Amino acid sequence: MSNKFDIAILGGGPAGYVAAERAGAKGMRVVIFDKRALGGVCLNEGCIPTKTLLNSAKVLENAQEAGKYGINIESTISIDFGKIMKRKDKVVRKLVSGVGAKMKHIQAEVVMAEAVIKEKRADVITLTADGKDYQASRLLICTGSEAAVPPIPGLDKSIVMTNREILQLKKLPESLVIIGGGVIGTEFADFFNAMGTKVTVIEMLPEILTGVDEDIAAFVRKEFTKRGIDYHLNAKVTELRGKEVIFEKEGEVFSITGDEVLLSVGRKSNVAGIGLENIGVELARNGIKIDQHCRTNIPNVYAAGDVTGFSLLAHTASREGEVAVNHMLGRKDVMRYNAIPGVVYTHPEIAGVGLTEAVAREKGIEVEIRQLPMAYAGRFIAENEGKDGFCKVIVGKKYREILGVHMVGGACSEMIWGACALIEAQLRVQDVEEIVFPHPTVSEIIKETIFAF
Amino acid sequence: MAIPVIMPRQGQSVETCIIGEWYKQVGDQVKAGDLLFSYETDKASFEEEAKEDGELLAVFYEEGDEVPVLTNVAVLGRSGENIEEFRPGGVGEAALTVPEEAAPAVESAPVAETKEAVLSEKREGKIKISPRAKVMAEKLGVPYEKVQGSGPYGRIIAQDIEVAAESLPKMTLLAQEKAKAEGLGAGEIATGIGGRVAAENLVAYNPVYGDDFEVKKLTNMRKLIAKAMHQSLQNSAQLTHHMSADARQIMALRKSFKKKLEAGEVSQNITINDLVCFAVIKALKKFPQVNTHFIGDSMRWFNKVHLGLAVDTERGLMVPAVKNADDLSIEGLSSQLSTVAGQCRKGNIDPELLKPEAASFTVSNLGNYGVELFTPVINLPQTAILGVCTIVPRPKDLGDGVYGFVPMMGLSLTYDHQALDGGEATLFLKEIKEQIENLSI
Repeated sequence: MSNKFDIAILGGGPAGYVAAERAGAKGMRVVIFDKRALGGVCLNEGCIPTKTLLNSAKVLENAQEAGKYGINIESTISIDFGKIMKRKDKVVRKLVSGVGAKMKHIQAEVVMAEAVIKEKRADVITLTADGKDYQASRLLICTGSEAAVPPIPGLDKSIVMTNREILQLKKLPESLVIIGGGVIGTEFADFFNAMGTKVTVIEMLPEILTGVDEDIAAFVRKEFTKRGIDYHLNAKVTELRGKEVIFEKEGEVFSITGDEVLLSVGRKSNVAGIGLENIGVELARNGIKIDQHCRTNIPNVYAAGDVTGFSLLAHTASREGEVAVNHMLGRKDVMRYNAIPGVVYTHPEIAGVGLTEAVAREKGIEVEIRQLPMAYAGRFIAENEGKDGFCKVIVGKKYREILGVHMVGGACSEMIWGACALIEAQLRVQDVEEIVFPHPTVSEIIKETIFAF
Repeated sequence: MAIPVIMPRQGQSVETCIIGEWYKQVGDQVKAGDLLFSYETDKASFEEEAKEDGELLAVFYEEGDEVPVLTNVAVLGRSGENIEEFRPGGVGEAALTVPEEAAPAVESAPVAETKEAVLSEKREGKIKISPRAKVMAEKLGVPYEKVQGSGPYGRIIAQDIEVAAESLPKMTLLAQEKAKAEGLGAGEIATGIGGRVAAENLVAYNPVYGDDFEVKKLTNMRKLIAKAMHQSLQNSAQLTHHMSADARQIMALRKSFKKKLEAGEVSQNITINDLVCFAVIKALKKFPQVNTHFIGDSMRWFNKVHLGLAVDTERGLMVPAVKNADDLSIEGLSSQLSTVAGQCRKGNIDPELLKPEAASFTVSNLGNYGVELFTPVINLPQTAILGVCTIVPRPKDLGDGVYGFVPMMGLSLTYDHQALDGGEATLFLKEIKEQIENLSI
């Protein structure tokens, strides 16, 4: 088989494998490289395994609360941590092999090795992997990101875990200290707390879940505090001594030791060691610089996903991969970031899209806001005994176009795409009022809130 | 023998055609088969040939005129032949206008129905477009200068516009509303879903200048001035009286001060403006009703004169006040005025002095710029403002029937008629004039 391809894809995560699928479907000859496993962080050590774990937590919660719904469970409920982790591995294996099957289907050449960009001559880009050269007329760089490790004195990477190591735990820790209360930290906090681990979260900012609607973040933090998670906000970790975490809060120094320590303070894009300098790819502050078609500064070289250093989400990555392939094929397509949903799969779930109140305030965007409790949706009451949540909608003051929808409670992650569509289509309040929502569903809360304008 | 040239009928349902272009002029010799003119229906464009040899004696319709089919549009014949019998009956004006609604329906055998509109880069030179197409383009919002015409010589015809309109970018609902409300249109960029024009892609499209302009935000200073000026005109009843003053005395004073300055006898450069302000202060002392603020149901009468001076700076107009200006000698006044003006230009003026309430009366001097007459805008809540104009030589009766040209300074007093009547304002202006003419220091 010849080593000349229409597109070389560097990285097999949600940007890479989706781009490969789309390119393959259009008849492009694809070569895709990954040094670890197809599916990237998302499938192997991110989205999918964590959701699998969180579902076990949800089943446990259902079992524990079954009595509220008139179902009595006579025997004791216990946790088999090994089995939970094994099931997670099974789910990951299944999905990774699914990606492999897709690559086979589009007849992509899959190279499971570390690849380096070697050179670009005229229109031919050459990559080297395992001592072998591969040539392609177009390149998509999607090498993703890895957990950022800040320079905290005493931090020993063999002792402190990141998302990767914690997913390989064999034994449920009795206590867990989580540094960083972002999405990753909060999801692990919820899971381990549900499993019975004593969880402490240390967050540098005044509130957890940066980027999430402030009221929702506070709502979830209060709920989790009730369930036994300890939060230290405005707290800066100054030193680590093995598994002892030293932090400063309001001028005072505290220390806490966990069975395990999880570091989840952000992600760092993987731009080193892939040969970007060999063809002169320009970098922005946090990653590869791209335009609205996901082009880099080098013709026919594109980048997508976490490697760009912003909107670090699997679905952003996939869409960027698609935009890049569409642009290669001459289809008019641009990447829009104003309607990218953000979901936190805790219990209750958090889902939001578009402008938040805080950003509107900061940028001086004139908006109107309405908020309704989830209890306005009949199905929520039927299925969520003693639970709460709310929906907040943000519209432009002048034209009342939907700018943001933010929800907490129930399984709101499954309905947020609808709100994305409203924003993508630039619909206004009066337009949404004409849309029929199924009854009874929790999604009706979106319509109810919009009718409150 | 002269023969008429008629507008042919193209298809059963076509009732009128539009003349595109005359290829021959009246007086031209024409051979059978020569192209006479082009014309078009709403669907296609055609050309009419001369049926016989002859001279083009008359043309009854201009390019762009809509002509009923089978009507005489021109006459061919020999020079000198009478053409009047061919003139379309009862048509005084050149064209018959057919209302849009009455336009015929679709032609039975449409020409080139599946044609694609070709949007090309803007072409050089004059754009050839039929009047019908132009009207349609404006109605449908098609940027016709970019449409590739399918008529003769690339002329844009109505059908090109129709097709182009269909391929116009679609807008999101928000974009449609915003475009309508703010008079915007689709530009080159469409980043919305499915290639739609999103609200943020809208540009101010104009057939004359397109998007060849730049939008610049106002500086805060400009915003403040805009607000103050607009409020002044909205919230007062201002009008302006003009008068001129013999400037010989004031010019003589200025000359003597200049000499003293050059001789080192004084340190302050006393300008014409300083002298005018000095005269104005004197006049204000005699007309305290002008040295006031008008505040709705009452007025503030000031015991002292707090003189505002309009100063032109790089950042915009500023009006600093000189407090208790009536206490100052001419040197003191000159020094204070130059100090506040300098502070305004440097940007270190006390903001309190810039408030419109800080001054009781304002002088705005445009004389240096050669302005002969203007209508200054009152700095509310002040009651009046004096505009000082340039000095021009005007004939004057010097006595004993002797006329000569003397330098006259224009004075424009804008006053709020809510606070002052025309008579008092005129007397006040006359007082300023006399103060200037008889100024002694």
